[in-house]
Amino acid sequence: MNDIPRIAMKDIKISFGSIQSLRGVNLELYPGEVLGLVGDNGAGKSTLMKVLSGVHVPDSGSIVFEGNPITIHNPLEAKKLQIETVFQDLALCDTLDVASNLFLGREPVHFFHRLIDKKKMHALAKEELDRLGVVIPSTYSAVENLSGGQRQSVAIARAVTYQPKVLIMDEPTAALGVKEVRMVLNLIKKVKETGVSVILITHRLQDLFEVCDRITVLYEGKIIDNRLIKDFTMDSLINSITGEVKEAK
Amino acid sequence: MTQADGTMKTEKKPFKPERITSAKTTQWLSNNKQLIGIFSVLILLSVFFSFSTSSFFTTGNMLNLLQQLAPNLIVVVIMTLVITTSGIDLSVGSILSLASALIAVLLSARWDSFFAFVFVLIVGAAVGLLNGYIISYLRIPPFIVTLASMIYVEGCALLITGGYSISISGSSWLMSLGGGELFTIPVSAIIAILIIIIGWIILTQTRFGTYIIGIGANEESVRRAGVNIKKIKLFTYMFSGMIAAFAGIIIATRLGSGSSNVGTGFEMDVIAAVVLGGTSLFGGIGTMLGSVIGVFLIGIINNGLTLMNVSPYIIQIIQGAVLLFAVIVNTYFFGRNKKRN
Ligand SMILES: Nc1ncnc2c1ncn2[C@@H]1O[C@H](COP(=O)(O)OP(=O)(O)OP(=O)(O)O)[C@@H](O)[C@H]1O
Ligand SMILES: [Mg+2]
Repeated sequence: MNDIPRIAMKDIKISFGSIQSLRGVNLELYPGEVLGLVGDNGAGKSTLMKVLSGVHVPDSGSIVFEGNPITIHNPLEAKKLQIETVFQDLALCDTLDVASNLFLGREPVHFFHRLIDKKKMHALAKEELDRLGVVIPSTYSAVENLSGGQRQSVAIARAVTYQPKVLIMDEPTAALGVKEVRMVLNLIKKVKETGVSVILITHRLQDLFEVCDRITVLYEGKIIDNRLIKDFTMDSLINSITGEVKEAK
Repeated sequence: MTQADGTMKTEKKPFKPERITSAKTTQWLSNNKQLIGIFSVLILLSVFFSFSTSSFFTTGNMLNLLQQLAPNLIVVVIMTLVITTSGIDLSVGSILSLASALIAVLLSARWDSFFAFVFVLIVGAAVGLLNGYIISYLRIPPFIVTLASMIYVEGCALLITGGYSISISGSSWLMSLGGGELFTIPVSAIIAILIIIIGWIILTQTRFGTYIIGIGANEESVRRAGVNIKKIKLFTYMFSGMIAAFAGIIIATRLGSGSSNVGTGFEMDVIAAVVLGGTSLFGGIGTMLGSVIGVFLIGIINNGLTLMNVSPYIIQIIQGAVLLFAVIVNTYFFGRNKKRN
């Protein structure tokens, strides 16, 4: 494994009103690593990832990206760093069609960059969905007409389309069937081989043992455990998540 | 239909191209069935008026109607965009009044027609910009922001006219905006058609339009996609103010006078047309063609019934009833105006 982390978050704190969601979190992520991020509901996993993807700006703390200290003020800056996210709440526009959702913010344009090249956009969307093995009746369907699993597939396709350096997946398999979960796990293994760093948040612990190199456990806004996967057993992981192991390594 | 069971295959499963084409057509039909609906109502009404009054379906009346509706057709374009973002702009009527008053005052003060024209547009844009700034950067709901603007802008119009109407005489090109003709077609109608086409292209073919629809559907999603949504909303309201001012100039030059009350109730006519056309008040769904048909529907009911010597009071009652009926149909038969979860 590489020595300098792709991302190092230091002492990240954020509060919403009186709720302190993150209470000084340190997290490192290496190139080509799959990191499992676990914790009970409300532990702060999504909030931590939203800090990385520019949705929330932390109250304090610092982020170092490939050795350079940075601040991520908004989602566009995260995208420029090639940090892509599948959000837990999907963040799709229901009334826009599949292709428009896939390319939201980066539509191919023509005619002096004035108009969206719809033909190209739909062709690319179809190509990308085919490549991922996602079956959706038409790239012209409004997203509101899709099933929960199809919507999730669109959200995943959107994040992986742009060759990210860091791929954050916040419960990407929540609405998926057995076959689709397999697809996502295989996808994670595939992108990992190309050097992408992946952060996977999931409550399906068996999946973590299949794809992760390392697991970090959040508990009430703090990291309480961080070990290589081989140092965990299912039982020790569960103990960690429920806060019975207070000793962080 | 192709399979819609939501499965994802690990191996490749290519699409069949002809299926996509048919799905596209089906999608268009299902998106536009309500457009076809209100268009049919428009045709039926036109036929009805053609038979009930001989003066309705004449070239003269049609051209006159077109000229009268031109300001509505112009403003309905931008109002469609505003409402599609799930916003509203109640200040367009007052801005229209102010613009008509201001152009009259400036021309009376011997301003050059061109500078007066540009200055009035800038004033409209400035009001819109202030609306947009307060709405998108200070996050105050559009309803309340533009309600306040509606009040203070009308105050400004009253202030500069003293409540009187001021007659206009400008250079010929300026006067022809409202009153001129090109091959017997009113210039204002030609301008309206151009603006409608531009508006349609913006809504359906550009990134700006996609983000407008996206903001109406799920603002946070568009923001997370890296789009500067504040700027999009700011520009939308700015254009709204500017275009309302433009419509004000057109009305003033058509009537040959400016006054602080020409735009009274104008915003309601325009909003009603947008809603009649099928644009969702909750945003995310907007149809330019629908809004245009909406304007004609309201305009033709007014024009036809007037020609039939129906009392204007009764016409207003009928218009309100039609709007109510259309909104109910849109909501329950086409799923518009229902709050999505
Ligand atoms: N925008 C917000 N406003 C107010 N409170 C918030 C906001 N976002 C998160 N929180 C609070 O921060 C805490 C952590 O929430 P977060 O969504 O990060 O949990 P999580 O670990 O992702 O949980 P889950 O497993 O249920 O997804 C919760 O107490 C939540 O209520
Ligand atoms: Mg979460």
